[in-house]
Amino acid sequence: MSSADSQGTPSPSERRHRASGITIPGFVLKNALRNGRRAMLTVLSVAVSCALLVTLLTLQRELTVPPESEAASFRIIARNKVSLAQPLPARQRSTIEKIPGVRQVSPFTYFGGLFRDETTTSWAQFAVDPARFRELILEGKIIEGSYDAWVKNRNGCMVGADTLRRYGLKVGDKLRFTGTFYPVDLELIIETVYAGTIDDRNCFFHHALLDQLMDDWGMVGTWYMMADSAESVDGVIEGVNAAFENTSAEVRAETERAFQLGFVSMFGNVKMLFGSISAVVVFTLILVCVSTMSMAIRERFRELAVLKALGFRRRELFAFILAESFGLSMLGAFVGIGGAWLFWSTINLQKLSQGFLVYFEVTPRIMATGGIVAALLGIVAAIGPSVSVARMSVVSGLKTLD
Amino acid sequence: MALPLKYNYRNVLIRWRTTLFTVIGVAAVVSVVILLKALAKGIESSSARTGEPGNILVVRKGSQAESGSLVTRDQFRTLQFFEEIDRNAAGQPVVSAELVMIINAPRRAAPGSANTLIRGVTPRGLELRPKVTLVEGRWFQPGQREVTVSKKLAGRFEGFEVGGIIRAGPDRLRVVGLFEAGGSAFDSEAWMDADEARAIFDRSEMYSSILLRPRDDAAMRSLTNRIAQDKRLGLRAEPETEYYSKQTATAVPFNILAGLLGTAMSVGAVFAAMNTMYANVASRTREIGTLRVLGYSRAAIVVSFLIEGVLLSGLGGMVGCALSLGIYAYVVARGVTFGTMDFQSFAETVYQFRVTPDLMALGLVFSLVIGLIGSFLPALRAARLPVISALKSL
Repeated sequence: MSSADSQGTPSPSERRHRASGITIPGFVLKNALRNGRRAMLTVLSVAVSCALLVTLLTLQRELTVPPESEAASFRIIARNKVSLAQPLPARQRSTIEKIPGVRQVSPFTYFGGLFRDETTTSWAQFAVDPARFRELILEGKIIEGSYDAWVKNRNGCMVGADTLRRYGLKVGDKLRFTGTFYPVDLELIIETVYAGTIDDRNCFFHHALLDQLMDDWGMVGTWYMMADSAESVDGVIEGVNAAFENTSAEVRAETERAFQLGFVSMFGNVKMLFGSISAVVVFTLILVCVSTMSMAIRERFRELAVLKALGFRRRELFAFILAESFGLSMLGAFVGIGGAWLFWSTINLQKLSQGFLVYFEVTPRIMATGGIVAALLGIVAAIGPSVSVARMSVVSGLKTLD
Repeated sequence: MALPLKYNYRNVLIRWRTTLFTVIGVAAVVSVVILLKALAKGIESSSARTGEPGNILVVRKGSQAESGSLVTRDQFRTLQFFEEIDRNAAGQPVVSAELVMIINAPRRAAPGSANTLIRGVTPRGLELRPKVTLVEGRWFQPGQREVTVSKKLAGRFEGFEVGGIIRAGPDRLRVVGLFEAGGSAFDSEAWMDADEARAIFDRSEMYSSILLRPRDDAAMRSLTNRIAQDKRLGLRAEPETEYYSKQTATAVPFNILAGLLGTAMSVGAVFAAMNTMYANVASRTREIGTLRVLGYSRAAIVVSFLIEGVLLSGLGGMVGCALSLGIYAYVVARGVTFGTMDFQSFAETVYQFRVTPDLMALGLVFSLVIGLIGSFLPALRAARLPVISALKSL
């Protein structure tokens, strides 16, 4: 008592607690942990649900938001208006080069071959014009071999660092691809290795080689071009589209970013699917917490009635319940979100998913979303029990059994 | 002696609030698993329903999908006169060289566009696929820029209705009819005359695949071998049904997702069920003491609590099944179809999701397992309560 007095005048309730050696945080903590098993089960179920939520949101982001690179906003991809699968005549190049604002253009043809004896296409191969392509991937850095050597060697190729690591390849190795879309097979030699782009998995080879194998094919898959400034991008897109209008091969040009997003939109309603699953997860999560909290409170109805009889106000009782439920759910969120973050950043998902999932980055934004959901959950779960505690009369509360 | 079942279900009903929470939790898990599996099932069954038993599909060796296959006119000329091929009433060989192309079309409901398959077929091709039936309008005329599209596609893409116009670059194709293909892969296609398709898509010397019908089983075997052994041809022949039954790669992500979510969510549900059951045990301490005094064995108590847990989660399982059936019925009644990009053809596969009895059984088993695991430890605890102190407790 004396120490409390020397620090000023504490409120009556505060004085009561100090007298018995109990502080309010201590009281809440003791209450939360007195049924240790239940506290643990609650924390764990919140943790599992939070981890799941974070994983779903990350998966959704991975599938719907392609990674962005600065250079991509200067780059334009032009495909046949019919569809991506329809090639374009190679003679279009001279026309495109004359369009003002076009700094460089290269053919860009998806080969889609099967590597070695694999049965699915696990990484992409593109036929390009190496001399022109150099100016198109500004963000890429050559980390092994030399680009010039690749330009000179018609059978050479440039491979991404990720793929090199995945298969344990090195410069000078031979790569064999069986054609799926094209009736020809490729035999390539790694001349150089790139890294630092948004997708360091691909293989690039000479379009001239493809032309030769296909008996002077005279077609390209798409055109890949670079505008000389951000301002000229729109003009280039319009120019390219207009240049081939009403020809036998009409063209649809768009920025690389728009192209990627268009590709993503072909997945169908992925976003809706993940959104609804996440909603169900959050809903279940709330149920679990609400049910646990009300269980904990119901068990303690008599005690709460005693507290009320001692003069604690409703507000204070609500604070006790809220602190307990909020604390438990935040602890669960910490374990679950932290665990998910640790798990996804430690394991090599790219290898496990065979290149399907590349980044799977649990962003701060996603973690914050998980945390906010858990916080709301802690608050919502406290409301029901608090209302019933507030409504109960001291007498009936004291009478409660069980 | 075992405790009567009535004891359990009465207990489940009397504590309706906690029961309700657990039931809803388990129901959510079960319905998520069932619905995701139903999506995968829809894709698989669309593959399984495609193809006639007696037909053979010939594609280029190494190609993964028909749309990526190339068969030259020379190859077709060689092949069409193989004597193993059956002949129709008019004496023509029953063989159809077809062209499968991808066109990009604007979506009807959502913004953006998606790829869809357009198939150039011949009159023989229609004979070879008797399950594909016309439901509206008429079939395309040879030599005309006309298409007959799947009724399911008509709902998904702009201009795919009868009288609509499909644009393929500078060319315009008029939709003259709708067909139904009985939930097969052809439900994701638009059909037109093969020669017109070759002209429009600049494939004068190329086809994608050849569909044919051998005279009998012996002819089928000999033809398959003959094509496989002819290295010069570079083609691959296999029964049409077999070819399509392998095209289920699109279903794989859904199955993985169902497994992943099912596991993670059921772990959460097990914790929830455990919580409920522990609370049940704690609040019934005196009751359990009484039962023990009355002569019920520890084993009887364990069994009784296990049954209660299973009852609880089984109820959740049933609600989950009912929920997914309800969603299924709604989807069927509204005629909603789902579309996903097929990574092999790069075109959209349209399918109906299917809640089948075996999926519901799976969901139910899933819920029972959750109940068993969730109630195991609480049941043991109930059985281990010391009788005297249990009786004394409030």
